[in-house]
Amino acid sequence: MAYAYLFKYIIIGDTGVGKSCLLLQFTDKRFQPVHDLTIGVEFGARMITIDGKQIKLQIWDTAGQESFRSITRSYYRGAAGALLVYDITRRDTFNHLTTWLEDARQHSNSNMVIMLIGNKSDLESRREVKKEEGEAFAREHGLIFMETSAKTASNVEEAFINTAKEIYEKIQEGVFDINNEANGIKIGPQHAATNSSLAGGQGGQQAGGGCC
Amino acid sequence: MLTRVKSAVASFVGGIMAGSSDGEQPSGAELPHKFPYMRPAFLGLSPDEIECSADHIARPILILKETKRLPWATGYAEVINAGKSALNEDQACCEVIMVKKKPGAPSTPSKTPTAKRRSSLPNGEGLGLRESSESDGLLIHYWALFDGHAGSGAAVMASKLLQQHIIEQLQDVLDILRNLGSLPPTVLGEEPNHPGTPGTNRTLTRAASLRGAAGAPGSPSTPPPRFFTEKKIQHESLVIGALENAFKDMDSQIEREKAVYNISGGCTALVVAFILGKLYVANAGDSRAIIIRNGEIIPVSAEFTPESERQRLQFLGFMQPHLLGGEFTHLEFPRRVQRKEVGKKMLYRDFTMTGWAYKTIEDEDLRFPLIYGEGKKARVMATIGVTRGLGDHDLKVHDSNIYIKPFLSCCPEVRVYNLTQYEHGADDVLVMGTDGLWDVLSNEEVSESVTSFLANCDPDDLHRYTMAAQDLVMRARGVLRDRGWRITNDRLGSGDDISVYIIPLMNSLWTTPYFTSLHRA
Repeated sequence: MAYAYLFKYIIIGDTGVGKSCLLLQFTDKRFQPVHDLTIGVEFGARMITIDGKQIKLQIWDTAGQESFRSITRSYYRGAAGALLVYDITRRDTFNHLTTWLEDARQHSNSNMVIMLIGNKSDLESRREVKKEEGEAFAREHGLIFMETSAKTASNVEEAFINTAKEIYEKIQEGVFDINNEANGIKIGPQHAATNSSLAGGQGGQQAGGGCC
Repeated sequence: MLTRVKSAVASFVGGIMAGSSDGEQPSGAELPHKFPYMRPAFLGLSPDEIECSADHIARPILILKETKRLPWATGYAEVINAGKSALNEDQACCEVIMVKKKPGAPSTPSKTPTAKRRSSLPNGEGLGLRESSESDGLLIHYWALFDGHAGSGAAVMASKLLQQHIIEQLQDVLDILRNLGSLPPTVLGEEPNHPGTPGTNRTLTRAASLRGAAGAPGSPSTPPPRFFTEKKIQHESLVIGALENAFKDMDSQIEREKAVYNISGGCTALVVAFILGKLYVANAGDSRAIIIRNGEIIPVSAEFTPESERQRLQFLGFMQPHLLGGEFTHLEFPRRVQRKEVGKKMLYRDFTMTGWAYKTIEDEDLRFPLIYGEGKKARVMATIGVTRGLGDHDLKVHDSNIYIKPFLSCCPEVRVYNLTQYEHGADDVLVMGTDGLWDVLSNEEVSESVTSFLANCDPDDLHRYTMAAQDLVMRARGVLRDRGWRITNDRLGSGDDISVYIIPLMNSLWTTPYFTSLHRA
């Protein structure tokens, strides 16, 4: 199916925080309570609409286990967005955020949009990390923040779509060089067709704004 | 592998082929594809996932999904190249195959009717307790890697069809393989020879009588005297022959179907087949398989490259000079000969030599050498860096009418490893990889890496071989730094497509009996 843009996302965070479940809920709208450990990388994709434009999200779901860290690290490159996930019922997954963030900042392009996600919001009775703590961490590090539940689907759509909106705005502002695929953004065939004259001429950063 | 076909041309060939446009071969691009581009069927990838896999920037390492299993818990991992071609030109196939007699084929040499249909019975019967029956199929485990060049067509087609040709070849000898007690008959339809049973009463065959052995009347217990010896052909040799012919059939099919389909390029082929307790490793190209047993490395294949096959190629060029199109010399020189050197003595070697000698340079020696370049840069007629494989029927020397195919062989070298001769542990494996792996890691490094990885895994974890394969591909791919992909000690990582199987040999014990009517994975 034709799309105007393709955004590449990566989902990161400790093992067992629900990364694969968030992806499955977003792409298949279902929850799988028992999920095998992700031992490499798995992919998902879904089309969303922003500002009347079809945008394809290509999502890389990574292994959270320490032993796969060097492999996971190698997948940051070329991502436009990252979902950094912790589990609100496990304090240690929140404590490890700094390490994840350092990793992400070091190995990704500087414009990557990072969404901090406190997952398992349905397990209020077992909560160990307050929502305010998540908000404070996000504010301090310049991230967007949401609490989600992959089980009830609460805020899952919003988490993926709000990240896309942020990327889209950055494109409009000319922050991203959309002609460099290493930024995790591809111009789709749909877009290229309507802008063939532009692309042939400047091919510059204004291409995104040109058709609005 | 694409670059290995094209890159050298411009820089090496200089004069004779300069000033040409893009050297695309006429390949029937307007024809339909027989098989569209894909990734190995056993990965079960959706089109979206295939799109993700072709990311040249992050180069994701693909492994088996948790829900999928390969026979014997074999591990597999692959990664795409660093950008030299848009698609991953490696292909892979892994299947458990039941070879059954061709429907309607006469039963030879035994005349038992093939009426019984065991497969219609419920599968509750005790495994291994049954005598193998006529309707039982021969169980084959099949692993294959194909490394494509100049397009993915041949590799994709071979990954879909080579096993069919192996099945067809084995069907022809199925009844003979079933009867391991007797050597394969020299002539079909005659009684088989009974090996190693001198002194037993033998019925005289028609062949024996024709050989003049009809004598010995009154002494039926002594083996008939022979006027000439007859080679004893083992069952193993029939399997080897079947594999060799299957490769040839595959190559012919590609050639035939190029008339109606778009089948681009060529490919190497490395096949490991488990048949009747033995591993048969058939290799045509520059992929490689090694066995790691108790930390020891046992090579089970050899690569076919312009360097390793130089003498065969030079001999062909010498015997059939028209294949060189007047542009190439079959002789090898350490470097290109210059016109001002005519009349001087220069180092050379031909098909009879592994060493070097001097000869007086003549005008003919100014032609471009048939084999030129060193190591990974060695090329046949400045074009291709691998000398065996499937396809490439249209491949020509850049901007000329000289075909490369006559110099390429589709015949594999087949080596046999008898699995039942050793007791294998959980860390004893066969590693198969395309050249993307072996270009950057030595046998020793691969062995060390796999052995130490497996040692740190739970022996009961069925994912351990998949994770070991992923780890191995990661070590060969490396990490993208400022100056490209780098591996240990800041060496260059492989920018090629990399595909790897890790086959645990101990799990061959899962496969018994070899003839069965039961379908198992």
